[in-house]
Amino acid sequence: MDDQIWYEVAYVAGTTHAVNSVADGLRLPLEFSPSARMAALPLIDGGAAGPEVKGVFDEIMEFYAVDHVPAVYRWMARDPGFLQGYWTAVKAAFSDRKLDRLTKEILAFAASMTGKSDYGVDFHLREARRLGMSEAMLTEAVEVVQLFNTVTKIADALQLVPDFDPRAGAPGGGRP
Amino acid sequence: MEIVRVTQPEELAPEDQRFCEATKAWFKIDFVPKMSRVLLTVPEFGRPYGRASRRAMADGALTRAQKELIATMVSAINVCEY
Repeated sequence: MDDQIWYEVAYVAGTTHAVNSVADGLRLPLEFSPSARMAALPLIDGGAAGPEVKGVFDEIMEFYAVDHVPAVYRWMARDPGFLQGYWTAVKAAFSDRKLDRLTKEILAFAASMTGKSDYGVDFHLREARRLGMSEAMLTEAVEVVQLFNTVTKIADALQLVPDFDPRAGAPGGGRP
Repeated sequence: MEIVRVTQPEELAPEDQRFCEATKAWFKIDFVPKMSRVLLTVPEFGRPYGRASRRAMADGALTRAQKELIATMVSAINVCEY
């Protein structure tokens, strides 16, 4: 695979993990499932937002085909400039490029499961399904998540040195 | 540093050595990954795990490439150096 794909995977990993951290850390209510969670801090109301924020909110709702602004972006709207920049980056990370948008949402779902993010699992499961993830695809994705959570923990428990030197891109350092 | 001595391929049972050869072909590499040897060190664990893994990682509703990307994502979120 060419480097562009790995960059795209990394951008999805980074933004998903960060957004999930904020959403779960601030106890934001889940977007699509019943949730008893109450936001730990007040969020910007869509109706009360200024024009700069409102433009971003409209874009977010269109991108995700939702009729409400996800709570995590309502949080970010406390700083309109930050919201505008971060959202534009997220949109770029999740748009069709070398990897298609559905694959990226499945990756975000996998990242959310692995990171034990209630907010992320709820959000990306719905979004992946909306973009066409079938039940068979879901089953297979969860199986891979389970398999690789198994082997990564085994590797960590035994402190295995990698088989590959990632910088060389060839078998190296960790080989016996 | 590894806290165990990782089993060498030739120490594994013949049927597990055959599985290791298949693993090399699957990944198009010329050595047996440590993880394969670690899993097969206890065959009662490694053999059924390997069956589940081969089944789950083959092309299906998701492509093998998509599954490898998911695996990368799990490793990244878990910050697993291996």
